[in-house]
Amino acid sequence: MLKEVPFVPLTWTDMLYLAPEFLLAAVFVLLILLDLLMPRRITRLTIGWLTLAGIAGSLLLVVLRMVDMNQGGVSGEAIQLLGNSYRVDDFGSLLKIMFLAGTALVTLLALGSVRDDEAITARAEYFYLLLPALIGAMMMASSGNLVTLYIGLELLSLTSYILVGLKRKSSLSAEAAFKYVVTGGISSAMLLFGMSYLYGITGTVDLGGIAEALPAALTDFKALAYVGFFFIIAGFGIKVAAAPFHAWAPDVYQGAPTPISTFLAVIAKGAAFAALFRIIYSTLLTLRDEHAIVADDIWLALLVLAAAAMLAGAMAALRQKNAKRLLALSGVVNTGYMLVPIGLSLSVVHSSNFSEFVYYFIAYLFMTIGAFAVVSAVSRASGNDELRSFAGMYYRAPWTAAAMVVFVLSLAGLPVTGGFFGKLFILLGAANAKAYWLVVIIVASSVISYYFYFGFVRQMFMRSGSDEERIRVPVETGIVIWVCAAATIALGLFPGPIMEWIDVVFSLQSDLMMLG
Amino acid sequence: MDKLTQTAWLIPLFPLAAFLILTALGRSYRRVGVLIGIVGSFAAFLFSLFIVVDRLGANQVDYNYSIEWLAIGDYSLRIGFEITNLTTLMLAVVTLVSLLVQLYSAGYMKDDERITVFYGYVSLFTFSMLGLVLSDNLLSFYIFWELVGVCSFLLIGFWFTLPKARAAAKKAFIVTRVGDVGLLLAILLLFWYMPEHALDFTTIQSVFDGQSGAITNGITTLIALLLFVGAIGKSGQFPLHVWLPDAMEGPTPISALIHAATMVAAGVFLIARTFDIFQDSAAAMETIAYVGGFTAIFAATIALAQNDIKRILAYSTVSQLGYMMMALGLGSLTGGIFHLFTHAFFKALLFLGAGSIIHAVHTQNINEMGGLRSKMSVTTWTFAIGALALIGIPPFSGFWSKDLILSAAWETNPLLFGAGLAAAFLTALYMSRLFFLVFMGKPSAASMDAQESRAVMTLPLIVLAVLAAVSGFVETPWNGWLGTWLTDGSEEAHASGAVIAYSVAVGLLGIYIGWLAYGKRSISFAAWHERLPWLVRLLERGYYNDELYSAVIIKPLKLLGNVLLAFDTYVIGGIVRIAGAAVSTAGRAAARLQNGQAQTYSLAAAIGLVVLVAAIVGRRFLP
Repeated sequence: MLKEVPFVPLTWTDMLYLAPEFLLAAVFVLLILLDLLMPRRITRLTIGWLTLAGIAGSLLLVVLRMVDMNQGGVSGEAIQLLGNSYRVDDFGSLLKIMFLAGTALVTLLALGSVRDDEAITARAEYFYLLLPALIGAMMMASSGNLVTLYIGLELLSLTSYILVGLKRKSSLSAEAAFKYVVTGGISSAMLLFGMSYLYGITGTVDLGGIAEALPAALTDFKALAYVGFFFIIAGFGIKVAAAPFHAWAPDVYQGAPTPISTFLAVIAKGAAFAALFRIIYSTLLTLRDEHAIVADDIWLALLVLAAAAMLAGAMAALRQKNAKRLLALSGVVNTGYMLVPIGLSLSVVHSSNFSEFVYYFIAYLFMTIGAFAVVSAVSRASGNDELRSFAGMYYRAPWTAAAMVVFVLSLAGLPVTGGFFGKLFILLGAANAKAYWLVVIIVASSVISYYFYFGFVRQMFMRSGSDEERIRVPVETGIVIWVCAAATIALGLFPGPIMEWIDVVFSLQSDLMMLG
Repeated sequence: MDKLTQTAWLIPLFPLAAFLILTALGRSYRRVGVLIGIVGSFAAFLFSLFIVVDRLGANQVDYNYSIEWLAIGDYSLRIGFEITNLTTLMLAVVTLVSLLVQLYSAGYMKDDERITVFYGYVSLFTFSMLGLVLSDNLLSFYIFWELVGVCSFLLIGFWFTLPKARAAAKKAFIVTRVGDVGLLLAILLLFWYMPEHALDFTTIQSVFDGQSGAITNGITTLIALLLFVGAIGKSGQFPLHVWLPDAMEGPTPISALIHAATMVAAGVFLIARTFDIFQDSAAAMETIAYVGGFTAIFAATIALAQNDIKRILAYSTVSQLGYMMMALGLGSLTGGIFHLFTHAFFKALLFLGAGSIIHAVHTQNINEMGGLRSKMSVTTWTFAIGALALIGIPPFSGFWSKDLILSAAWETNPLLFGAGLAAAFLTALYMSRLFFLVFMGKPSAASMDAQESRAVMTLPLIVLAVLAAVSGFVETPWNGWLGTWLTDGSEEAHASGAVIAYSVAVGLLGIYIGWLAYGKRSISFAAWHERLPWLVRLLERGYYNDELYSAVIIKPLKLLGNVLLAFDTYVIGGIVRIAGAAVSTAGRAAARLQNGQAQTYSLAAAIGLVVLVAAIVGRRFLP
């Protein structure tokens, strides 16, 4: 039953395919050395800018690769490396572009806020540790078998544990790091446990191999397959903060430095989604006849998680008074929305799941980073990140308040913003797939979330703060805010072209599933 | 076509930029803020002036440029701007008055702590008004129409700490909304009936002008009347005039800019812009003429009995707008627009003069003023010119425009001619009362310490006085230049010696009686107060319009509102409260999970997994 996977060593051409990851790794090593050798009096912000340069270079390489693979407007064949354990395809590349762009914005945000953050002592690590985390996220998007996937996940997780605890002088940060390690450990344990069952019944860790062997395995070990998949889902459930696995998120986001919270909310979450998407779609889509029931149960479990996240997140946020915790819970609600296209499966009438997911993820990336950037600017001025420090912001920083309104509108899903169309596409997708109960829950959670999102607007425009002083926004943070605001509005104004482009680039057969 | 005209869309962007910069700067940069506002409107004025000069020659072609804004199915909505001689004239008037008012405000509002907010609002208003003027279709016209309404609301309520200002702002907003509904309905009807749903003025003109029969007479009349309802609301015509006197709670420069010279004339401009629709409907034209004539005389009688200087001028504005409407109703487009043009200058002048007086004596009651002639010579002289222009004494501008309107009435409608003449007499009477009480006689207690305002305030007065004196010469009985320019020569100049004689005679008579009563004090109206106290009070209270509306409309509506509110509170509110309580309880439960204990979190995750497995997978393994 065991199938030998022949070992194929990396060739020079293969190395070229991996250039984006290698570049990041090289910059990472270089920056460690630089930090050791650089005299103390030179500011560590230099390292931040070099990190940013490395990310930009890697982004360029990914884009070039993608353009090269999609010449002539047709979706290219996937490139398989190391015996199909690593894949360069449009699914991965699209998400990698988002991860790289998101991390670049996070780095900028860190550059803008680190100067005033006395609690962060290891300023060089603060920047260069983002690189291995990013490599981990990229590996998760590109992995073709469970082992690569797990290694990517651990690389991302271990680095983020450190990043969360980087505010060494803050006990809140230490507590957050500890909680993140514990829940992260549980998540890894569940994932590995589930993966070991899949390996046990199919005899392979290769996703294509699992898909091939699964029908036969199901006839004998149906219960074990269920256990495997459900543990994997629970493991990823913790990573993407879907209810009831989300309870760690508010504590960790609150304690971590704001740019790191942003990284966790966007890139770490996106990477887990990418891996989940890849595993579920590669292995379950080919199940037929009596085995289709198993697949349907797993899809259903994902939808239940989505619904739970939407409702639990929105309700917990109602009484939330801390801006970062509020955004964490908003992230839980958004996890619910993004799980919908994954859990809906494919059908004859509805097959645009991936573009719905990616569109919402892009919108989520910009609006969340933007909102966190505004929180970072405000808490820098007021010394805390409570919601009431937004009071009277319309008078203290009218333009930043205007940008925040854009993000809030987008998060709440009102036109004309990216969040509106993202949610609309997901909603239409659910309606097309005839999952009407889910439509009701999406709408209900949106209505509830208006209330807490407009807490920001209420504070900014209708409360006068005790402080009359203008809020000074650092240039780097300002850039992040306005890039995100512009992107959010652009996504709201031109949703058509972006959706069409994703549809053209992405093809289900060659980019996601691993047949043969 | 000249490059300049093609780039006319830039004009509104100067004040818009000023507004954005002012908003961004916040309240701290007071001097710079004032400068930015003034520079913005100065740039717009210069640009407009170039376009006026450019188009002065005969037979200029209208220029229209539009882009597709939205395409819904087969229907495409276009948005753009149009330059005709009429819009050019309005551009010049709006930008010039706006510039002068902003210059004046630099002195008048100097000590207000929200002066930059004030300039921001004024810039936003100027932008909206210019957008309204340049609009080439009714939809964008309507958007800007509402936007100027919002600016008017913000500026009337500028001193929002005063309860009266808040109430006035609310009243203006609500009353004009009644008119706006009419305009919106008219636009919807046009959208429905026009070929290809076109809403641009050029198409409207060609459809109605050609008498193509595409739209029946009944519908045409309905559309015209609904458009007129919009104009009634904005231009303060009877019966929706009640908001305009109350709007005087706003800062005086705003009364001059918005509630005398520009925004209130938007109704007149709307009718002029869609004049072809009205010309197709005799019934609508008659309605406009009679409403206008009635408003002219009605508001003038109220002005006689007011004691607040700004309220007198406000009722005078209502009355003069009535003249413009009457002219349009009589078919004289030139008469209406010409009076709009001269009125903008002399009424802005009078309001700014009133502001200068209020600034000096700190009261608005004319009975407490007196003898200001010796204290404030520039204000006195410029105010006198404005008053003479308003009364219609040659050679001041108001005479020529009023003469054109009266001539039009003389030829076609003797009744309205009589109304116009009577209103002219009343105008002379209330203006001479105002003038003699404020400037002549001995200085009163309030005006003992009065001083002439600073140059930044008197300069706009002088400029406006010059314009009020000479701007009438663009259209005289022997020189119909404006009429030819505006209407391509389709309207001829009217000339009638009798009309001139009558109108000068009633004007002089009114001034003479006013002088006898309030200057020389040889006759007294005190007897009226004793013998006919009800009449005086009737006029003072503006024919009890407010009270009437309160009893007939507001109270029943409030009653209905209370009934609905009770239903809302107890029935719907009950349901909502139950739903809210449910959500809130759930929220508390969700928040309880968040107790900060990592072991609780892990336990929740574990329980969640078990429940998920049991619920979804369990059913497969049950017998």
